[in-house]
Amino acid sequence: MANSPRPFRKAFSLDVYAVVLALALALLVRLNLIPPVKW
Amino acid sequence: MTTTAVTPARPESLLRRLAALLPGLLLLAAVGYAGKFIEQSINAYTKARHITFPNIEYVLWAIVLGLVIANTVGIPRIFQAGVATYEFWLKAGIVLLGSRFLLGDVLHLGGISLLLVAIAITLSLTFMHLLGRAFKLKPKLTSLLAVGSSICGVSAIIAAKPAIEADDEDASYAIAAILALGAISLFTFPLIGHSLHLSDKAYGLWAGLAVDNTAEATAAGALYSDAAGKVAVLAKTSRNALIGFIVLGYAIYWSSRGQAQKIGNKAAFLWQKFPKFVLGFLLISLLATLGFFAKPQLASLANLSRWTFLLTFAGVGLRTSLRELGKQGWRPFAVGAIGEVFIALLTLGLVYGADLYLHL
Repeated sequence: MANSPRPFRKAFSLDVYAVVLALALALLVRLNLIPPVKW
Repeated sequence: MTTTAVTPARPESLLRRLAALLPGLLLLAAVGYAGKFIEQSINAYTKARHITFPNIEYVLWAIVLGLVIANTVGIPRIFQAGVATYEFWLKAGIVLLGSRFLLGDVLHLGGISLLLVAIAITLSLTFMHLLGRAFKLKPKLTSLLAVGSSICGVSAIIAAKPAIEADDEDASYAIAAILALGAISLFTFPLIGHSLHLSDKAYGLWAGLAVDNTAEATAAGALYSDAAGKVAVLAKTSRNALIGFIVLGYAIYWSSRGQAQKIGNKAAFLWQKFPKFVLGFLLISLLATLGFFAKPQLASLANLSRWTFLLTFAGVGLRTSLRELGKQGWRPFAVGAIGEVFIALLTLGLVYGADLYLHL
């Protein structure tokens, strides 16, 4: 089954999703597309 | 000739999978926010009445609330998938936390951490193996405990298990022991740090080097102070970066004894085990250093990382089952506990030395 596509979940680890989310949030903040985040 | 039509299992839609996470995510948010609310309420109350009361961080409240819920009413099945995402939020939070470090600081403190980690790992792996032998533990269980306590807890055990072909039972024992010890360190480390009057940097470095799981190390740091939490994350991230090398070393050792498969492409193996969030952390730190973000934007990123950590701390409490931890045999726990005390003392000595000679 060499040609069978790898399931999306297995192709990328949790780390990669976390990095993508964090970078996307950083970009939104940089482009002022989300309001300032308060704590 | 009859043919049987094989219906391929329909992949669950992304939307459905996300919907399944929602109840648990809401629970994480509710518990985390309740922790923050309790901290703020106590602070406001004691301040208004001029009462001197130690500030108990939201981190502790969130963990304790989670622990109480998980060990009294339990976590119904519907919440479990969402609660299990706490590690995802931890990693996203660490990447965002990169914005609070200039790359120079990362290289300085990260370099010191790596040096201390290398010394600590060598000594602690040796010590754990001697202990395992003294307590007559199975050699692979000892390997898992050694990897878990000297590198990065559960992730290291999960990474090492298939590489050294350890039993499921050994892995569960090792994970349970590491989780129990992580929970204990959450409550003991800040107390020891305060009694020794450690600076934020020294304490953060110590917590990052000695506490096993990344979530617990982050929490143990944040329980001391915000600055200590930041340093703990950096030190722990440096430690995590070495996971591939140690697991590879064990895999080569066990395959040389004919008890695990040979590793073909070592570079690919190292890349597969390398925690990718470390790269995200470095990238955000580089962008912050280059002035890509304005000051208010840096504040927003720091706050976003706090919110993601809030979900993580709630998850640490919610996933800790005291009953499960009690079920394990006493020997793996004893080996883990003695090893942890050794590692805590060793890293404390190393941090003192680094503070003296390398000026943290």
